[in-house]
Amino acid sequence: MNTVVPDGEQPFSGLDDTPVEATVLRMMLGGQLRRLREAAGITPERAGLEIRASRSKISRLETGRVGLKGRDVQDLLTLYGVTDEDVLEKVLALVRQSNTPDWWAKYNDILPGWFEAYLGLESAASTIRSFEIQFVHGLFQTEDYARAVTRPGRKGAPAGEIEDWVRLRLSRQALHARQKPPRIWSVMDEAVLRRPVGGPAVMRAQLRHLIEAGAMPHVTLQVVPFSRGRHAAESGSFTVLRFEERDLPDVVYLEQLTGAIYLDQRSDVEQYLEVVDELSGEALTPDATTRFIEQIARET
Amino acid sequence: MTRTPGFDTSVAHQARMYDYLLGGKDNYAADRAAIDAQLKIYPDVAFAARANRAFLGRAVRYLTAEAGIRQFLDIGTGIPTAGNTHQVAQEIAPETRVVYVDYDPVVLSHARALLISHEAGATNYIDADLRDTPAILAQASELLDFSKPVAVTLIAILHAIPESDDPHGKVASLMDAVPPGSHLAVSHMGTGLLDSETQRGLEAHSGRAMQQRLTARSREEVARFFAGMDLVPPGVVRIEDWRPEPGADAGQSVLWGAVGRKP
Repeated sequence: MNTVVPDGEQPFSGLDDTPVEATVLRMMLGGQLRRLREAAGITPERAGLEIRASRSKISRLETGRVGLKGRDVQDLLTLYGVTDEDVLEKVLALVRQSNTPDWWAKYNDILPGWFEAYLGLESAASTIRSFEIQFVHGLFQTEDYARAVTRPGRKGAPAGEIEDWVRLRLSRQALHARQKPPRIWSVMDEAVLRRPVGGPAVMRAQLRHLIEAGAMPHVTLQVVPFSRGRHAAESGSFTVLRFEERDLPDVVYLEQLTGAIYLDQRSDVEQYLEVVDELSGEALTPDATTRFIEQIARET
Repeated sequence: MTRTPGFDTSVAHQARMYDYLLGGKDNYAADRAAIDAQLKIYPDVAFAARANRAFLGRAVRYLTAEAGIRQFLDIGTGIPTAGNTHQVAQEIAPETRVVYVDYDPVVLSHARALLISHEAGATNYIDADLRDTPAILAQASELLDFSKPVAVTLIAILHAIPESDDPHGKVASLMDAVPPGSHLAVSHMGTGLLDSETQRGLEAHSGRAMQQRLTARSREEVARFFAGMDLVPPGVVRIEDWRPEPGADAGQSVLWGAVGRKP
């Protein structure tokens, strides 16, 4: 083998041991492509030129945010000096495997690319930590609550489209029923519980649903009550996705009105981890949170 | 007397350094920098962390499978990783009850979120300092039955208690509260295990760069934690030599370890 990998490991080793989510596979393939590119001293611009793509496309490709094309990967590997037939063969097989259609493919008409990447990360994560200041996290929303949240953001959208969004959101919740569901650890501001989205009846049902969700063994809910005063919430709402694979970095997801930001640089991610760590230390314990939500449900 | 630390990621923290050494992702730049500095003084630091984790596993398996213990008081829980006390014990006896104690609210919030009991057993979490044994015992009694044997585990925590806080007295008051047949398991940063230059370097580094100042103790001082108890063979030894299992990796830890039984 004549390839150079900085850490001395065989390129693409350890990827074919167990079946992994397509997104995780893309992230691992992307990370390996980045390491090979850097080892060969090639800039993202130059790599982009090779496959008629922009610098940012290379960046998305190397972080697993977009699908990989066999042809592109082959061209990049050649540019990076990887010529071993066996290695090429193996990588291309993995690329094909990473392109199996995802469950959300049927929502392609409504689904913007920036959100599709999140769905991949969410369904591949082993731990999902979030901090919410406005709305109940999508993984815990009732159908009525989801409809009430969806409608104002899409004024003038046909009713069918809104229903597609609602169904998509509820479909994400299928991960709760998995044999080995991810750990979901969600910290929320009291405001999330107080804002009567969809009216008091919808909100009461949502609060009861939250209490049931919190009782699931893989779910931990914590509330930061108003009485705690100052808390580390300057960040707004965010989600931290963590993956089982040791090599894969945590990803922070920040949603905006017309797009989203994904952070995976360690120095960025750590600032959000610090916020969510500090908040979880300040927030009510899971047991106290359940009692707190019960109290608010009575007042709603 | 409790000394709850403020949440500060700019200074290295023992629990997060340990997490980093064990391959976890719950650590910050200062924790990793402290480990990098330690590695220059003592290259086996990652081995020592793995050896400590492995010692915890062997001690808990011994206590559950051979000594018949079904109740654990685990003080100095740390950030959850693989092979936590309740997982090891409940694999053998699912009905085992484990109370985790830590004085760091952030570490404890991780424990609450991630250390989930088998449904046949139970886990509980106490926010208390090892120095405050009355608070620990009062809260632990909500889940543990102190008329039946309890295993108290103090894994890599006693070296964070200086002599001025009377660590031997604290351990004695814990063991006074549990009935005959109860056990104590300890791992402890030790003197007499490394050359004196390395030893001094590690202690000085902890004083400079960590939230916890560490005090290494001799084999005799560690044995004194077991005063009035019967030491389970082989007694107080380097942790990797305590009832070793085949296939363990090689290295030299800097920790004494032992398990004792209250007669």
